[in-house]
Amino acid sequence: MKSITASIIISVIFIFGIALTGAEKNEGKGPFKPRPMKLEIPKGWPQPEKNVFDNNPLTVEGFMLGKRLFYDGNLSKDGQVSCASCHQQFAAFATFDHDLSHGVANTLTTRNAPGLFNLAWKKEMHWDGGVNHLEVQPLNPMTAPNEMGETLDNIVAKVKSDTAYRRFFVAAFGSQKVNMQRILKALAQFTGSIVSANSKYDKVMRGEAVFTAYELKGYELFKQKCAGCHREPLFTDHSFRNNGMPLNRFKDIGRQAITLNPADSLKFLVPSLRNAQLTFPYMHDGSIYSIPQVIEHYRSKMNTADPNLDPLLRGGIHLSLLEKNQLTYFIYTLTDSSLTKDKKYAPDNGIIMQQTFDNH
Amino acid sequence: MRKLKQGERKFQVMMRRTNLYLIFILLLSPAWGWAQNEGTLRLVFSLEANGKPIQLRDSSYHNGFGENYTINKLKFYAGQWILGDQLIDEYLLVNAALEENKIDLSLQPGKYNQFSFLLGVDSIRNVSGAQDGPLDPMNDMFWTWNTGYIMFKLEGNSPQSTADLNRIEWHIGGFKGPLNVTRRIRFDAPFEIVKGAITEIQLKVDLDKIWKGKNEFKIANDPMCMVMGSLANKIADNFQGLFSIRNVSVPK
Repeated sequence: MKSITASIIISVIFIFGIALTGAEKNEGKGPFKPRPMKLEIPKGWPQPEKNVFDNNPLTVEGFMLGKRLFYDGNLSKDGQVSCASCHQQFAAFATFDHDLSHGVANTLTTRNAPGLFNLAWKKEMHWDGGVNHLEVQPLNPMTAPNEMGETLDNIVAKVKSDTAYRRFFVAAFGSQKVNMQRILKALAQFTGSIVSANSKYDKVMRGEAVFTAYELKGYELFKQKCAGCHREPLFTDHSFRNNGMPLNRFKDIGRQAITLNPADSLKFLVPSLRNAQLTFPYMHDGSIYSIPQVIEHYRSKMNTADPNLDPLLRGGIHLSLLEKNQLTYFIYTLTDSSLTKDKKYAPDNGIIMQQTFDNH
Repeated sequence: MRKLKQGERKFQVMMRRTNLYLIFILLLSPAWGWAQNEGTLRLVFSLEANGKPIQLRDSSYHNGFGENYTINKLKFYAGQWILGDQLIDEYLLVNAALEENKIDLSLQPGKYNQFSFLLGVDSIRNVSGAQDGPLDPMNDMFWTWNTGYIMFKLEGNSPQSTADLNRIEWHIGGFKGPLNVTRRIRFDAPFEIVKGAITEIQLKVDLDKIWKGKNEFKIANDPMCMVMGSLANKIADNFQGLFSIRNVSVPK
């Protein structure tokens, strides 16, 4: 009898031991249960790109880890440049009032930093579409010598040695293990969850607000003259087009560098017009400062001699000066101040933001 | 409670141990049985040039055009193994800096006549975000600015190179349509897989054939190949010729 009792006890201990081994990766703090998070798809919007979160299920904990990494200047070579240095929330996650952005050691980028929002609907990243998945996008700024200038090995080593990260990795992935895949997946959870769909335009579409007469006229002009590329509701059709910008001082040929096809010369990704008021200056190199100047480019300043100029732009966009103003006012209705003020996307307490703004 | 005799005590301890072993065996038996149904094919890659094992940096080699060179890096991906009707979707990053380059594949027992692998990384994995293990971008085989893997990397130096510091840099990549440099490397070789045993196939990788194979490349003409396109594709056409079977062991 006794030996049976003993064997039961031993079995229980043994099975418990196995359970413990299985739970080892949870650091013994109970079962690993991150809270699922749902990407809200605004009414009337298309489905997001299918493979964005397919192998990276969104969770509150993954989002929080991603946010921490996004605001961490320590990922850069000199500890000063975080993702957020060039992607500032108050500028819809573009660099405010900068044609080009600043990298480590007084370097400058060669392209204008785009705003980061509605990325889950984006198939290709970069002005030339060279990056085919949101998860691998951060590898570029991390390693570019004129951005964060760091090696991937050093980034992993620094995150590993920062003990404050441990509970974040455990919460998001079930263990303390730090590797590039986890860092990239967490960052994608944060950046891919940033949604901008609450501008005055959106409120008008939902019947919660009305356009002024000026804005309404601008909206009608927009639908006639601009919507061919800046398609609603994302205000981009995610295509690459030659919009009559000249070859710049960096000899940036755009899409052609990716496809090697000469027909793609000077084609760049059509940017969303959402939050355009905050993401100035404009174009791939930030060479046009204001929205009226951009409209003027399409009215009269395009390089019409370029045989690759987009067919929709041949002959220019005809607008009177009054119409130009009306269109500008419509574009202002695409500004989403709830995005720029949403605490969900802001650094949490305990994240020390690098004081880099005075360098700018 | 009566005091236990020495013999009874020993018996109880023994019983407990036996119980423990029994539970252990019971718990592991399904895994044991499963493992026992398969055999192992071990593929070992030996990297050579001029008939000698490749030593990075220190040794000098020559190609079929009499050009001398040293090798600083030689790495390539091998994966998506096809053996009979089985596809094994695992990757190995062969690296001349390592002592040994081998992969163990679990196979159904039986006689096989051919096998093949993909030199490079399949297109799905080039478009599916962050990968881990051999495909971790930290392995320095990943293009960030134009997403995709470098399938084959050769770096070195040669007095015949006209590039900066006489360097040779071949980063062979590209996975889309006509730019695809991945190649399926095929072997005809009878081998047998036996339940619970290891069959080892030694593959020779002869770097001499990268210069002079289906296509010919002189270091003086093509010291650099850093982008996708026709040069990368012509170099990739020499991949199959690099490989030959040196030895097939009996299952042990």
